[in-house]
Amino acid sequence: MTSTLPAATTAKVPAQRRPAPRTGAHRRVEPPRRLRSSRSDLILCGVLLVAILVVQGWNIGDYPALSDDEGTYLAQAWSVQQGDGLAHYTYWYDHPPLGWIQIALLTWIPALISPESMTVGTMRAAMLVISGISAVLVYVLGRRLALPRWAAALGMVFFGLSPLSVVLQREIFLDNLAVMWTLLAFTLAASPSRHLWHHFGAGIAAATAVLTKETMLVVLPALFLTMWRHSHQDTRKFAITGAVTACTLIGFSYPLFALLKGELLPGAGHVSLWDGVKYQMTRPGSGFILDQGSGSWGVLQSWLYYDRILPLGGLAGALLLLVTWRWSVTARALAGPALAVAVFAALALRPNGYLPAMYVIQALPFLALVLAGGTASVAHAVLSRWRSEAEKRYVSTGRYALAGVLALAAGAYVVPHWYDGARTAVTTDANAPYHAASRWLATEVEDPERTRVLVDDALWLDLVHQGYRPGLGVIWFYKADLDPAVTKTMPRGWKDLDYVVASPTVRRDAADLPNVKAAMEHSDPVATFGTGEDRIEIRQIQTSAGGAR
Amino acid sequence: MLTSVFIAAVSLALFWMAAFTLWWQMHAWRTPEVLASTRFSSPDGDEHVSFSLLLPARHEQAVLDHTIQRLLESSHTDFEIIVIVGHDDPETTAVAESAAARDPRVRVVVDTHERKNKPKAMNTALPHCRGDVVGVFDAEDQVHPELLAHVDHAFLTTGADVVQGGVQLINFHSSWYSLRNCLEYFFWFRSRLHLHAQKGFIPLGGNTVFVRTDVLREAGGWDPDCLAEDCDLGVRLSSVGKKVVVAYDSDMVTREETPGSLMSLLKQRTRWNQGFLQVYRKKDWKQLPTLGQRLLARYTLMTPFMQAFTGLIIPLNVAIALFLDVPVGIAFITFLPAVTALVTFVFEIVGLHDFGRQYGLRVRFAHYLKLVLGGPFYQVLLAGAAVRAVWREQRGRNDWELTSHVGAHLDESAVSRQDATREDVPA
Repeated sequence: MTSTLPAATTAKVPAQRRPAPRTGAHRRVEPPRRLRSSRSDLILCGVLLVAILVVQGWNIGDYPALSDDEGTYLAQAWSVQQGDGLAHYTYWYDHPPLGWIQIALLTWIPALISPESMTVGTMRAAMLVISGISAVLVYVLGRRLALPRWAAALGMVFFGLSPLSVVLQREIFLDNLAVMWTLLAFTLAASPSRHLWHHFGAGIAAATAVLTKETMLVVLPALFLTMWRHSHQDTRKFAITGAVTACTLIGFSYPLFALLKGELLPGAGHVSLWDGVKYQMTRPGSGFILDQGSGSWGVLQSWLYYDRILPLGGLAGALLLLVTWRWSVTARALAGPALAVAVFAALALRPNGYLPAMYVIQALPFLALVLAGGTASVAHAVLSRWRSEAEKRYVSTGRYALAGVLALAAGAYVVPHWYDGARTAVTTDANAPYHAASRWLATEVEDPERTRVLVDDALWLDLVHQGYRPGLGVIWFYKADLDPAVTKTMPRGWKDLDYVVASPTVRRDAADLPNVKAAMEHSDPVATFGTGEDRIEIRQIQTSAGGAR
Repeated sequence: MLTSVFIAAVSLALFWMAAFTLWWQMHAWRTPEVLASTRFSSPDGDEHVSFSLLLPARHEQAVLDHTIQRLLESSHTDFEIIVIVGHDDPETTAVAESAAARDPRVRVVVDTHERKNKPKAMNTALPHCRGDVVGVFDAEDQVHPELLAHVDHAFLTTGADVVQGGVQLINFHSSWYSLRNCLEYFFWFRSRLHLHAQKGFIPLGGNTVFVRTDVLREAGGWDPDCLAEDCDLGVRLSSVGKKVVVAYDSDMVTREETPGSLMSLLKQRTRWNQGFLQVYRKKDWKQLPTLGQRLLARYTLMTPFMQAFTGLIIPLNVAIALFLDVPVGIAFITFLPAVTALVTFVFEIVGLHDFGRQYGLRVRFAHYLKLVLGGPFYQVLLAGAAVRAVWREQRGRNDWELTSHVGAHLDESAVSRQDATREDVPA
């Protein structure tokens, strides 16, 4: 081991960077050293970033339809900004709070300038920042995993422009933030300089991702694999132990937080982390994903409705990489993302697991990378495998012709679908009923200050800005049944309310919520916006005499 | 409110201190390239410099001959050994004289100072040095036969004025504190010292250190009144821009053993701390050209005292967070230093594993357990030594505790090398 020169003091001798001893453990494809100073990488990545931001940003407030969860997180972020704690209702450890604390930071300055802008439709713009960063990270990660420039760019396009991505990444979901942190963790884990503190940082980023959305826990093995493959034998034990320690210590801050608040374990009269975790772990399953008619099947269909190429193509790509593991350098370089896809697929295939609609968000970057990697693998096989100097001319021409045909066919299939998706995204107005309902409640109700309304979370902040009392005046509808602090203020049940805003979510969930159900049954629509399933009704509670209260 | 602000400020300060220390401690493992650069480069077979190897020996007749014989086995062909003995130490002198009679490469210099210490002894020998480079070893050092050739090559290829080789305590299994002591050396010579060399401010070690003879003479030799003359020499040389190179190879280090008792470890540590304090007060480091270097110097020389301080504050901080009614945000901040301490702990465990690997030593589970459990107690020991050093320096007591102590011990019973109470292990 005596093949190198010692470190020296004065600056005259440039940093004595001896090459590290080569190890045979993994044949490592040399990733590009300096992406930041590579003009072609910068231009390519920049152009794609602009395209992604335009497609994702145009019409972001009006499409897709506002989701209840977005309202929840943004309202809680608002509560953080107001200094009212982690939520305006009791924080009950449903998710770690780091996600909406980040949203609060992200929307802090706009909310200072214009407090009324703190509504779901407007603040979706903040998600553009997250999408943009994530998309760039996909490109950088692709390059660090030794993808050629065009393939990394392809991955970025898959990730940012798939209609499924466009729909989901526009929404204020914690998953989108968690994806950004996870990508950062992978990018640091694959750092070409194999720096101890980069790996340490990867551990911190991974912990942040998990504290943003706890389900990110399942990609940690894939991150570990990536880090293992990208660390050097001589420094690996320090790098990996450092990363694991960082991740664990940061992760423990959540239980520590609960402990400091005296809410770690269940007890009378307070919520607890234990109960929160128990709730999440025992959520009723939504059936087997391939079982037609189950809830999970429906969720799968809702993804495939927007895009089949990224989810199915990504799965195929992962499969291809796993099968060609032995021969393909690309397959080995992409081991981490491929494992992540495999883990996500395996979890989705649990016989009776709970499959939320945003589950796929976490898999998107890995699907994109694996699909790009698979494409690169195929391209390599077609263009270069078994190729020799003395190859006949017509064989070479044949290779290029085949590659051209494949590219054209793929393009012909993908481009029209995605064009349609993008056009829908930038032109449809899915939220007109919401805006109309909001306007109606602002103008037609006489005394918002003393009116009590059940709404779904998406509309809640709008009403707060219009003068309704947050929490007990304008009420998240399910809190009327589930939060003792709210039901206490409604001793006469539905009779203590004035309005119910019956959005699709409210109508769907009312079946299981007695107070909400009663309020729906004892109310009449006074205004209806939209038609059919998606309509929003403003229903006024009847007095006992039969008329409006 | 005031309490909260105070606690937060103290916690953040501690956090940054601990974080920087950790950052520097892990220097060598930052990247595989850095790790590769901490090793000696292999010599090309040619010889370019001649060595004068100083071997101060005091009441060390039991081990001296063995050390000389081993040095004479060096593969390098151009060197002399100068054994420095005291005029009041006939036993050691006899051993040295007989070695000199057997081999012309060995010479004996007698130190006649009334009050003796290591820097005075070496200054006595300095005018007698004929080699291009002066090297320093201790009388009980086990020196690798290839070391001189590697050092020669390092002088040639780097144009260095000073080359510091690795020193490593080996007997980690002896006691709980020797385990931690070994690991301290491991992190210091394996990693931290390289950072110092790179930054241009370095407290040298007491042996396996090689200095160009003219540079050493120009600097006036060692400071006879400093308790950490090795550290002082490094600080003086690097402060005037001399180039120092550090190289560490596990098979080329000089092997040593930890002090034989907890008390002697405490005394040794007190002496170093007091020495560091003296070097700090001599202000040679103020000549360093950049602010960053001066800050590093200030921080490094003050480290023992900050260390003592952190050891006391961290538990207090955690207690405050858990039992006092402070806001959750503040409580979180108070945990930051503890988190850094935990990370350091984990890296120490990995370091112990690596140490075992490098030296082919079997580290058992019990050792890891000892490492973790011994941590707080070792911290108390360090804090004790730091307090003691400040107190002694304040009282103006800057005699070498070891001289009288070791002498008395050895005079009473001709103890073997392993039992000898040694305190003159270099920093």
